[in-house]
Amino acid sequence: MTAVVAAIGRSGARRLSVLGGLARFALGAFRAAARLTRAGRWVTLRVLINQIRFTALQAIGLVTFLAAILSFLVISQTVRQLGRLGATDLIGTVIVVAVIRELGPLLTALIVVSRSGTAIAAEMATNRVMGEVTALEAMGIDPYIYLVLPRMLGAIVSVAALMIVFDGVALASGYFGAALSGMHFQRYANIVLTTLSAKDVWLTVAKGVVFGSAVALFPSYHGLAVKAGPTEIPQAVTRGVVATIVAIFISSALFVVVAAG
Amino acid sequence: MSARTSKEIRAAWLAQTLEWGRSDAPPLAFIGIDLRDRPDHPDHRFDLTVEPGTTVVAIGDEDSGVGDLGGLALGLRQPLSGRAEVFGARIGQLPYYDLLLFRRRIGYHPAGDGLLQNLTLRDNVALPLRFASDHRQTEVDDRVNQLMEDFRLRAVAGLRPAEANEEDCRRAAMARALALDPDLVVLEAPFDGLTGRAAQDLLDKVSRRDDGAHRAVFATVQDLVPSVRRMVDRLIKVADGSAVEEKP
Repeated sequence: MTAVVAAIGRSGARRLSVLGGLARFALGAFRAAARLTRAGRWVTLRVLINQIRFTALQAIGLVTFLAAILSFLVISQTVRQLGRLGATDLIGTVIVVAVIRELGPLLTALIVVSRSGTAIAAEMATNRVMGEVTALEAMGIDPYIYLVLPRMLGAIVSVAALMIVFDGVALASGYFGAALSGMHFQRYANIVLTTLSAKDVWLTVAKGVVFGSAVALFPSYHGLAVKAGPTEIPQAVTRGVVATIVAIFISSALFVVVAAG
Repeated sequence: MSARTSKEIRAAWLAQTLEWGRSDAPPLAFIGIDLRDRPDHPDHRFDLTVEPGTTVVAIGDEDSGVGDLGGLALGLRQPLSGRAEVFGARIGQLPYYDLLLFRRRIGYHPAGDGLLQNLTLRDNVALPLRFASDHRQTEVDDRVNQLMEDFRLRAVAGLRPAEANEEDCRRAAMARALALDPDLVVLEAPFDGLTGRAAQDLLDKVSRRDDGAHRAVFATVQDLVPSVRRMVDRLIKVADGSAVEEKP
């Protein structure tokens, strides 16, 4: 019995210590922003633009495709079922609540994690193993400034932008799903616009910031925590991505609680 | 915006780091350092002072602890006992952000060059100027152009480390160490895999500051070719955890 309690305690303490480490890491990344030199700002901006190009621009095709398919499937099926009950007006609630508010941000964040989260974790772990992080510190350069900060800002901007793309495509392809059941564009637009509120806009922005931070923070933390050598890199990538996915789902649930409050 | 001279630029960033240490202190001093796995007899401590303008090389086998001296000098690792002082400051005791700032007074060439693989050789050289100084963009470009010229890197400036040969990577790493024209340079295994002539050429460049004066150079090596030995002011053999003076 004592051994079981001790094991649970050890596991809990380990998780708490990782959380503490993450909090310190996040704080370090934000504090780094205040220490950027004049010339450093330009380089950080260049890294940031590269990060946005890779994370957002190169992912637009995939996000558009998935948003179109998902919305088309959900709306066409829902309109058909609601039509039988004579409650097609509820389609607006389904689009806004299920697709725009919940599934859109979640799927967008998962797409970015699978593409960029893995890349960030692998890159950071390689930087650590190759001695590049030590070289940066020896030159007097804060690794947060050079490695973490631009990726974090890039991920936040990218996730928020991709969510907007997802929402736009989902609304458009949702119409085609509804049109299959004979719904006219004017009616579809009226239903959707009546259901959409300013709260949905703010929630999208807030989720973009939170999910974007998670996409950069967890993979960076686990990537830079590598110590032994190249064999640890795949493990760091797995840890980083799994932690990000868990964090995104938990924060998504928290958003529901906060939005309901 | 008026153009600043290289002297003014250097003085501006250096001013931030003068808060620590003493102006009359030697550039580098190891005092009672224990280089072995655990503290043992006090006779086996490493003591060495690198005077301004001198080139000092510590030589020893892989297991002698000579490879730890560079990290100790930069405050990247802590000694089991004793201390490393850089310009009179106990570098291992400085808080992290102060330490980062202070390290800008030291040029560092890590073993294996430590170049960032996703940057070109030119961008690697520019890195400390962009992130660890208040240089303007045009000043960074001017300084990098000068270093690429001095270290004969212009033809390979656009290559990434994996695309360049070992000597060019070494030259780029040395140029990066000198980017801020420091008074002290710490080199770890700087001549491994280089010809005697290339090693001589690099040491000659590293040991002179921009104004022509000699800078303090501390290098750790496992082997040293005779032609380079002749350029060294002091050669220290690390044996049994102690420093033994050898004839260069």
